[in-house]
Amino acid sequence: MDWVFLSELAINGALTGLLYSLFAIGLVLIYKASSVPNLAQGGLTMVGAYVVLALSHDAGLPLWLAIPLAAVIMFGLGFGIERVALRRLAGRPVIMILMLTLGLDIFLRGTTLAIWGGTSRSIELGVSYEPLFLGDLFISRIHLVGAGVAVALFVAFMLFFRTRTGIKLRAIADDYMASWSVGISVEHGVGLSWALASVVAVATGVIWGEIQGVDQALSLLLLKGLTVAVLGGLDSILGAIVAGIILGVIENVGAEFLDPLVGGGSRELIVAAVLILTVMIRPHGLFGRHDIERV
Amino acid sequence: MQEKAEAAPILSMNSVEVLYDNIMLAIKGVSIQVPTGEMIALLGSNGAGKSTTLKAISGLLKAERGRISRGEIAFQGTDITEVLAQNRVGMGICHVIEGRRVFEHLTPDENLTAAAPRGMSRSALNAEKEKIYNYFPRLAERRNSQAGYLSGGEQQMLAIGRALVTQPSLLMLDEPSLGLAPFLVEEIFGILQKINREEGMSVLLVEQNALAALEIVSQGYLIENGRVVMHGTAEALKSNSDIQEFYLGGGEGTNFHNVKHYSRRKRWLS
Ligand SMILES: Nc1ncnc2c1ncn2[C@@H]1O[C@H](COP(=O)(O)OP(=O)(O)O)[C@@H](O)[C@H]1O
Ligand SMILES: [Mg+2]
Repeated sequence: MDWVFLSELAINGALTGLLYSLFAIGLVLIYKASSVPNLAQGGLTMVGAYVVLALSHDAGLPLWLAIPLAAVIMFGLGFGIERVALRRLAGRPVIMILMLTLGLDIFLRGTTLAIWGGTSRSIELGVSYEPLFLGDLFISRIHLVGAGVAVALFVAFMLFFRTRTGIKLRAIADDYMASWSVGISVEHGVGLSWALASVVAVATGVIWGEIQGVDQALSLLLLKGLTVAVLGGLDSILGAIVAGIILGVIENVGAEFLDPLVGGGSRELIVAAVLILTVMIRPHGLFGRHDIERV
Repeated sequence: MQEKAEAAPILSMNSVEVLYDNIMLAIKGVSIQVPTGEMIALLGSNGAGKSTTLKAISGLLKAERGRISRGEIAFQGTDITEVLAQNRVGMGICHVIEGRRVFEHLTPDENLTAAAPRGMSRSALNAEKEKIYNYFPRLAERRNSQAGYLSGGEQQMLAIGRALVTQPSLLMLDEPSLGLAPFLVEEIFGILQKINREEGMSVLLVEQNALAALEIVSQGYLIENGRVVMHGTAEALKSNSDIQEFYLGGGEGTNFHNVKHYSRRKRWLS
């Protein structure tokens, strides 16, 4: 085992991890406003990718136009989900909302299967498959692009949460009743968080669709994305980024050592171990907010 | 009761009944008037229906599956019974809810920003904040720390400041003295009085601490079991023997009364 190989594993792991972060950012956005992990984020990601395909391959639009247009459509869909489904549940126990998101995920998967079928399709972003050489290191270009998108979204959302609208969203996450009492529209805020998460789903769907093709398997990203979000602390965008890098590195380096021992499949085991250990040892994750004891 | 002619009331509540979950009748025909620019107290023990009365006025009832089943509420002459809570804030009614409830993970400064009405310019918001920090200098010192770690008194000040950002013409406060040391209660009530005088803001103050409340208001209502049982000037109430016995700490039995209601009410809060 030489150092060049090890750093190559670590760097590519970190880049893949940032792609999980991309997914996790969507989860965090919704968690911040609703205190519920959105189990439908995988379904949304898949729908995002299919909408891009429908606009580009099927309707013939160029990708540079299809992607922003898909983002607009998904933004509307996110608002629609709040209006049609979530609003009725405001004030109900969180478990009900959680079950609703699960139902929504199943619905989105069923719908995409019915409309677009089960065969895998590909999104051609035009990113070269030739690896990039960084000194002696091989690096995947598409992963680098995806990681760049994740970091850009991270910066954008960090700034957003300092704007007045962003502060109102954080207020909603803290206390619905107090928000209503000062005239904040909780419904609108929750809708906005779903809309933003749906836009993130387009970005996630396009990048991952380019890497592994667009089919039902895209929705399974939920497992890794959720692990990253939990490790990061569920309500922390910074946590999603840091945890993504950590999980990506552990997974890639760890699998290299473990796979020969267990005969493959150790990636899933590593992810599962991280999720379970986080919940057991540090339930609020790396950067999650603690509930403050009242004075 | 006094019958002298006054300026048109900013708030007029007429025989209002409130039902929770369509079965629990929490207030049973409450009528209250808040004359424009005055401070009015709503007194009563735990479970009497004070908070429910405020929620009926602010519209927050809906969030607790409550509704007005009879009567009407007029604000500045307009019937608001069907108006959404967030729109009532826009009309000038702001409710500082029970238990302080600041946005704990935000700074005090962000708490104030969060309450900014739609369309308030940045400079107007900053001017508003400075005014609030002038009223509550303690908040100014801690404007960038995390609100969840402020002391109880500071949190109550922040909750009031946050309400002021919405620029209410009627400010309603639900037991702002709860759990605070007497000197803090005095400080906060003093500031409320100042705001009332300087801005002409009408105030509806819900309190169990009748002694402190009657010092700063002009009139008070006493509510028991969902009904108004007494109404008069602060002076008249202070000298009333029942009030003295039960609410100004003069007689026996007060504690038992409160304990019984308290345990009943805790169920709803959990
Ligand atoms: N959300 C609720 N659902 C059902 N009953 C409630 C609710 N809130 C209050 N109540 C009941 O309504 C009555 C009045 O309560 P409340 O208005 O909170 O009194 P107060 O503020 O004077 O202590 C009490 O009997 C209480 O148990
Ligand atoms: Mg109360």
